[in-house]
Amino acid sequence: MKISSRQICFIMIAYTAATKLLMYPTLLSMASGNDLLFSALIDFVIGTAVIWSISFLCSRTDKTFFELIKGTLGEVTARIVFGFFAAFFLLSTLLPIFEQVGYIHNIFYDTVPSLGVFLPFFVFTVYAATKKFTNIGRCADICLPIFAASISFIFITAFSDVRWDNLMPVLKTPVFDIFRGAANTAYAFVEPCWLLMFMGHFKYKKGDVTKITLSYALGAATVLLFLAMFYGIYGAVAPSRTYAIARTSLFFPAIEVIGRMDLIVLFVFEIVMLFALVLNIQLAVYTLVKCTGYENRMLLSFLVNGALLAITIFCNSFYNNINELFYNWMWIMYIVFVVALPVIAWLFKRRTA
Amino acid sequence: MKNFFNINKFAVIVYWAIFLALAGMFFTNDFGLVDIHKSSIITAIGIDNEGEEVKVTAEIAMPQPSQSGENIRYAQVQGSGLTIADALNEINSKTGFYTKLQFCRLILIGENCRDNQLFRVLGCLYRKNYSELTALVAMCEGKAADMLANKSQVSDMTSEAIRKILSDEIEKSGNANTANLKDIALAEFSHSRSCFMPFVQISKPGTSEEGGDGDNVGGDPVEGGQGESGGQGESGGQSGGGGSGGQGQSEGQSGQSGQSSQGGNQQGQPVEFTARKTVYFSNGLYKGILDEQQSFALAMFKSNIRLAILPCDSGDIHYTIGLRNVEGDVGVKVENGVPKISFSFSATAQIQGARVKVDPSATNKDDNVDDKVLRGAEEELKKRFESLFSVCKESNCDILGLKEYLYKHDYNNYGLVEKDFYSVAETHYKIDVRSVH
Repeated sequence: MKISSRQICFIMIAYTAATKLLMYPTLLSMASGNDLLFSALIDFVIGTAVIWSISFLCSRTDKTFFELIKGTLGEVTARIVFGFFAAFFLLSTLLPIFEQVGYIHNIFYDTVPSLGVFLPFFVFTVYAATKKFTNIGRCADICLPIFAASISFIFITAFSDVRWDNLMPVLKTPVFDIFRGAANTAYAFVEPCWLLMFMGHFKYKKGDVTKITLSYALGAATVLLFLAMFYGIYGAVAPSRTYAIARTSLFFPAIEVIGRMDLIVLFVFEIVMLFALVLNIQLAVYTLVKCTGYENRMLLSFLVNGALLAITIFCNSFYNNINELFYNWMWIMYIVFVVALPVIAWLFKRRTA
Repeated sequence: MKNFFNINKFAVIVYWAIFLALAGMFFTNDFGLVDIHKSSIITAIGIDNEGEEVKVTAEIAMPQPSQSGENIRYAQVQGSGLTIADALNEINSKTGFYTKLQFCRLILIGENCRDNQLFRVLGCLYRKNYSELTALVAMCEGKAADMLANKSQVSDMTSEAIRKILSDEIEKSGNANTANLKDIALAEFSHSRSCFMPFVQISKPGTSEEGGDGDNVGGDPVEGGQGESGGQGESGGQSGGGGSGGQGQSEGQSGQSGQSSQGGNQQGQPVEFTARKTVYFSNGLYKGILDEQQSFALAMFKSNIRLAILPCDSGDIHYTIGLRNVEGDVGVKVENGVPKISFSFSATAQIQGARVKVDPSATNKDDNVDDKVLRGAEEELKKRFESLFSVCKESNCDILGLKEYLYKHDYNNYGLVEKDFYSVAETHYKIDVRSVH
């Protein structure tokens, strides 16, 4: 087996949180105000249910998702579905890449850096995307302790300035706005698709359903706590505070005296965010391999990263437009790929005749 | 030759090359190294209003090469424009450094900005990525440019001297109501729509204002300074007015490129700063200034007080009381459509001073305060709380944040009383000052 259930649990904890601490809190506070936790909760409850469903499916079959489709609908259909998944993973990478560009430029630099500063990222991703699930698992092993240490620091330093009553009054935002907030930010919830791809690539052991589901719930709880703290600190100003993870520690008394020592932790946390971002690219290459049947991962990695690089360079000035597009329409893809397909997977033949 | 193209060897070489390139980029700031000795960092800005334009005076720190420890030179540079961003852009062109205000720790607003919408003046600073919201904000007597041009006895860096009187420690003693950019935005964009910030004044060093029942801090007004002339002192750097978007030409009168090396009071003498008064705003508009006693009362409810000094009278004797374990809380609940505001305050007291001949053998009993003195302290506190509330009522300015409290804790009744809140509100004071022992 290529990846262990322990490593999947680590991915569910660390990457679930790491992918939602940049723009997600800002966008959510813009949409749902002080009831942002409820919008997030809607997405997380759906996500947890789907994660449970997929991991339960894993307990019933040893097949991969590709083999499941192939066994029921034939190889061509399986390849087409995986082709769509490749596009979905690519799209899911797009906005986080732009967020990372902005984050690195705005937080790690006092001046105005060029786009070129970010481009070495693609040198790393070209290499990383050629790697298989074994490598993804090992990265998760490395990332979890880094994640635990850095997020603890961020929580501790943010805690002193949180005014919890900023989250009150509860549920006075119009219900439509709360659901709209959940729908608009649904593009950040790709985790069930990760698990779908890991299916059949890890040896299921008794109790893994609970472990994986609880790991996802733990990642979700981390995000919810962060959201509460972020809004507790900034209240009505939260929608103007982009790159939330870099904004919560600023009012810690020691930082006032020593300076931005939190940047060291943010640098470290960036490693986890990077691997979480790369996972989508790795899965895009994996699904392309399955779709095309062409095993040369290096070439496919070059193609995928080349496309992302070109989009990053040419669309760098259109971040707001891309953001708006994702914000308004990506929930449709979310319903199809993250909710519907994993549920439909239960209809496929789980045993070979 | 065949071995040279061995893929494993080649891969090792490529990855070492990439590693070295990335390390090089990392350690050279992507080939954009900035020599710290040739840079300048904005440590504080002063904002003045001149007609339609804002004039921004930046205090910049310029690290100097030195063999004996730290050596930093400070100067003021001015820029002007229709927005702060315009003015900062002009400052940027004079200093050669990208003005992102990451190191700006103080924002002084000149008294001449009173007639402007506060959040139009400060709006630029809330736009994303311009500055963090940690910078302290204060309004100053006279022009902010003149205030920053003053020399201080306690620090070479004027903004640092001002920040000392706005420090956490000062706040914990109830001697100033400090606020940063985040605090005032949270208060203003709440349902109270009111905010406050400290009011910075200068006085002649070595002097102290008389009277005030022991409460006045400050000294004689500085000749030619803001305190006396209402802000007529001229700082050195001049920025050309007119021109939209900061297009005005700079005409530095002293120093190069509009850099100011003198200003403030006319004699260039060092001054002392105080910030015991508090300016308050409603809907972003200036409403007035709380005096020292009202500011003290506000601090009791808004700050985390460790030790506050309270002058009070008991009989014919004047006492100075130290208040510890201060717990001030102001809440509101609606009963029969009437908002009932309850001020509750408790603290332990000890005698810090009294206008009587000291008896050394009795000083160890200072922690055992006589009931009469405690009642005197309570009366003094009540007087101050009532005075603060009357300001809120008269100006209809909710600096206590009661409407926001009601909105959060009693949402259903908030809509009923929000409009006539202060005119119909009833108050109740529960003040309990106990002896330490």
